[in-house]
Amino acid sequence: MSSPLACPARPQALEVLRRAGAVALADLAVTYTWRTWLFGRVPRKLSQVAFFALIGRVVGGEDAERFLVVGNALMACAVETTLVVASSAWERALGTMPLLVSAPAPLAWAFAVRSAQWIISGTGASLVALLLLGPLFGADWQLEMIPVMVLLVVLTAVGTYCFGLALGAWVIDHPAQRNVVSLLANLLMMTICGVQVALDHWPAPVQTLAALLPITHELVALRELLDGAPLSAILPDAAAGALVGAAWLAIAVVAFGRVGERGRRDGTIEFGA
Amino acid sequence: MNAIQTRALRRVFTAGRDKRGKSGSRTALDGVDLSIPPGEVHGLLGPNGAGKTTLCKILSTVLVPTSGSASVMGHDVVTGLAAVRPLVGCVFGGDRGLYGRLSGRKNLAYWAALYGVPRRLIDGRTTTLLDRFGLAGRADERVETYSRGMKQRLHLARGLVHNPPVLLLDEPTTGMDPVSAMDFRRLIGELRNEGRTVLVTTHDMAEAEAVCDRVTLVNDGRILHSASPQELSALVSRYGRVEARNVPDTLTQRVRILPGVTRVATDTDGVTRIELASADAAPPVLRLLIERGVTDLATCRPGLEEVYLHLIADRGMEVGR
Repeated sequence: MSSPLACPARPQALEVLRRAGAVALADLAVTYTWRTWLFGRVPRKLSQVAFFALIGRVVGGEDAERFLVVGNALMACAVETTLVVASSAWERALGTMPLLVSAPAPLAWAFAVRSAQWIISGTGASLVALLLLGPLFGADWQLEMIPVMVLLVVLTAVGTYCFGLALGAWVIDHPAQRNVVSLLANLLMMTICGVQVALDHWPAPVQTLAALLPITHELVALRELLDGAPLSAILPDAAAGALVGAAWLAIAVVAFGRVGERGRRDGTIEFGA
Repeated sequence: MNAIQTRALRRVFTAGRDKRGKSGSRTALDGVDLSIPPGEVHGLLGPNGAGKTTLCKILSTVLVPTSGSASVMGHDVVTGLAAVRPLVGCVFGGDRGLYGRLSGRKNLAYWAALYGVPRRLIDGRTTTLLDRFGLAGRADERVETYSRGMKQRLHLARGLVHNPPVLLLDEPTTGMDPVSAMDFRRLIGELRNEGRTVLVTTHDMAEAEAVCDRVTLVNDGRILHSASPQELSALVSRYGRVEARNVPDTLTQRVRILPGVTRVATDTDGVTRIELASADAAPPVLRLLIERGVTDLATCRPGLEEVYLHLIADRGMEVGR
């Protein structure tokens, strides 16, 4: 450390993402132990999925319970990943915002995987719900379906995380609204994306809105998989969901850039103790 | 080329609207001209709200000035963001600004990545800094288990992780115990020897005198005075005073007419404050008081606030409160 830096260095995206991932894993380790996750968080998710599936059994018969168990099992993952909305605002509370803004790396790099722990816990919750509750409510998965099912759940987790990340960029400037925003986002997905109600029930404008959310496409693909559709039918829907997720990531990157710029202009980036 | 240069720097914050719907504004910096050559440790002294932190924010690119200009190593902080950011290390007081659930080592490694330290250098750089700041023994423990002093040392290490030539230290000893504060002063000496330029803000005059090559006093967003610590010491002793208890009225009258005594006042607690115009005025005052049997007395250096008030009064400026 004897000679001061002679020329500016350029941060490397992969290195920043890798190190930010360590923050996510550290948060995950504090949020859950495997015991609290398995015997606390997962049963809570399973109860919710079972609740809706039982309603389906009571009011609509076998088709309805199968529809609801698949929709709500996948939604369990989205509910978890949209926690990114709230956890993005944690940086304000930690006091790291001014340091992140003054660092050479773009702000979006720091936030992109900083809450990725929810992707891991969300994927796990959905897979447990699909594999454990599915067969009890008419969703009989064949062994050969499982790799594709895992892929679709991961795509859902990543896509809904990106959607939440874009909302998180807005919430950073409005931290008091963090829980309201994530609840509204979940409500929107549960209502119009084919989780509780079939997509074709909604008028065209609502279906168009639903198409802008990644879970809509991944859920269609998951239902096709369960119905025994070939991969050639499933993959286009899965890819559409991934594409929508990527679009939300792009929106999030732009939005985080604006968060930094706006904060620099209006002086809302707090500094110090 | 100066390491830090500001010209007519001004920052106005827009406040919320009042009951009549009119929006107000607050001027945090008002035409600040400051030049700090490379390698200088420069103290920025001022009370809360003087504009010290606003200046640090602008220099660290966290805030855009309303008008005027500021540059670091010749790069403008508004138009040359990409050039300025790697050149500046920023440390502020208190224990916020760290990832409590990460270890000290992982915190440093993350900030090193954000500043573009090459991957092959990150491990060595973090280990060196953890050793230097006495954190090696707990480097792999979560930061939330650290004491406040340890967090502050980690902050300093973080500010140096990309080896910047310019360091901004905003109230860096906030919350430090006296031993840590002493270590901090030693560190500043090391940074000076390494050729770094350091801008340190504080409201502790003794700290500024101990570590700074030059000191600037600020108040209400304006520079009041720039001086070396020696000049500042002279300024402080110029405004010294004597405090004594149980001084009879007749003696008070005699003290009042001694040379160099500018003001004598006795408060309701029976403490008489004798303000002096120079250090030379103190011995005759003390001699007279002791000869007349007043033994409960002390000489006092004025606090920073008092120096400000004197400076402001000398310049005929109104004190903004």
